[in-house]
Amino acid sequence: MTGYLAFEIRRTLRDAKFLLFAVALPVGLYLLMADRFADQGAPASYVMGGVAAFGSMKAALDVGARTAVERGIGWQRQLRLTPLSGGGYLLAKASVAMVVALPPVAGVSLVAALVGGVHLSAGGWALAVLGVWAGTVPFALLGLLIGQFVGAQSLQAYQGAVVLVLSFVGGLFIPVSTFPDALATVAKVLPSYWLAQVGHAAALDGAGGVGGGEGSGQAALVLALYTLVLGVAVAVRYRRDTARA
Amino acid sequence: MNIHDGAPALSVAGLRKTYGETRAVDGIDLVVDRAEVVALLGPNGAGKSTTIDMVVGLSRPDAGEIAVFGASPHEAVRRGMVGVMPQEGALLDDVTVRETVALIASLHRTPLPAEEALRRAGVADLAGRRAALLSGGQKQRVRFAMALVPGPDLLVLDEPTAAMDVTARREFWQSMHAFAETGRTVLFSTHYLEEAEAYADRVVLMHAGRIVADGPVHAVMAEVSGRTVTATVPGARTEDLGALPGVTAAHVRDGRAELRCTDSDLVVRELLARYPEARDVEVAALGLEDAFLRLTGASEAVR
Repeated sequence: MTGYLAFEIRRTLRDAKFLLFAVALPVGLYLLMADRFADQGAPASYVMGGVAAFGSMKAALDVGARTAVERGIGWQRQLRLTPLSGGGYLLAKASVAMVVALPPVAGVSLVAALVGGVHLSAGGWALAVLGVWAGTVPFALLGLLIGQFVGAQSLQAYQGAVVLVLSFVGGLFIPVSTFPDALATVAKVLPSYWLAQVGHAAALDGAGGVGGGEGSGQAALVLALYTLVLGVAVAVRYRRDTARA
Repeated sequence: MNIHDGAPALSVAGLRKTYGETRAVDGIDLVVDRAEVVALLGPNGAGKSTTIDMVVGLSRPDAGEIAVFGASPHEAVRRGMVGVMPQEGALLDDVTVRETVALIASLHRTPLPAEEALRRAGVADLAGRRAALLSGGQKQRVRFAMALVPGPDLLVLDEPTAAMDVTARREFWQSMHAFAETGRTVLFSTHYLEEAEAYADRVVLMHAGRIVADGPVHAVMAEVSGRTVTATVPGARTEDLGALPGVTAAHVRDGRAELRCTDSDLVVRELLARYPEARDVEVAALGLEDAFLRLTGASEAVR
């Protein structure tokens, strides 16, 4: 499996356009929004948490979902004819998704620190970068699940819709506290809401704020649960799929 | 694990697979001995690919047993005992041929070096090229190299020459032949009779999910093909011609008699002996395609 992982990481790192876009989009969004929201009294660190979560979430989802293409052309069929297990394949892909998910959150945090004037404690930064990054695992798995279900042609549409719902309804850009009650309830079902909680908890910690909604402990628990459920779902689906797309 | 030294390369019993209403594979029994080169022959939709998918563990049979060297298909693949070239399988466009084959090698326990596999498949010169820049035939031969990587004792090739031009086809069969000459087993599917005749020791003919003929190439062909004797025979009645020894069927068309026969030499002697005025005698072997149609048509009549 390490051989396959090395192969996939090499492939991904060669795809400069994809990597650049994965970092540039959230960094650009941060720069746009930090100004706008500052006028409304939201601290730059709060915006950072949401946008960093968006960047790493989208990167992880994209890597996973792009497996739809490999499935469609029959590459997965080729791999099934080697000793590489289904679990090994999925684990390698999820690992690559996590490798790609780190630069966006690191990039947004760096820009926030250098340009946005965000100051956090060491623990705050660790939570803002590593906490959000680690919280991306269920999204890598969700991406893989989408990749196993959706055809390569319709992938863009599905993927776009999923990212849109997760980021807006999950409150990555607009605080859920401003949502109507019904929508706020829906938001709390989404894993992206809990990822944002991790980011926002880091920001509030740095700003000396107390009791910023649910703590990151509860968020970690929910995200772990999502990881478990999505992990089982994608493994079962891969096993059942005969890869005759 | 019961991998018997004496187990045949492949043993299939009572294999069935249904997709919705379609019985893609409808009860197949097949034993392939070691060192045999077997062609799985049949028109599109005969169930060849479905059979092969099950044999190599890509899909699960509804019923039946499969053993590859006495082991399950998965186990055989895992141990590198079987090398497979599936029909619907592709290469990653952004990766070079060398990287692709080296990747497959890295996944196996005791692989051939990538360069060696490429050389045996006759595509060593393509090693540095990305798959996006390969022709269909070149891709197929790279995938043949991938099938060779585990150093398998059994090669399973699903329509290997699809998308190949004449030259690529000839070179591919040379590679396959070199592999088979080392005493290893090959099972390949094709809908080209010529390929089955030229490269296989044995033909297994499939039609509508069943095996309709199985045996040495010449025997399967002889069983149904036969020859046709055509002649102008003034005054002869169709019934009399049909009654000639060795004739299986007789027609008279535009004054010419067409005699289907199992032994054309005998028929010609009898014909000339009984009808001295017979002239313009022609003897023709039944074309391969005709034989094919007859074989599959015959099974249709039986059902």
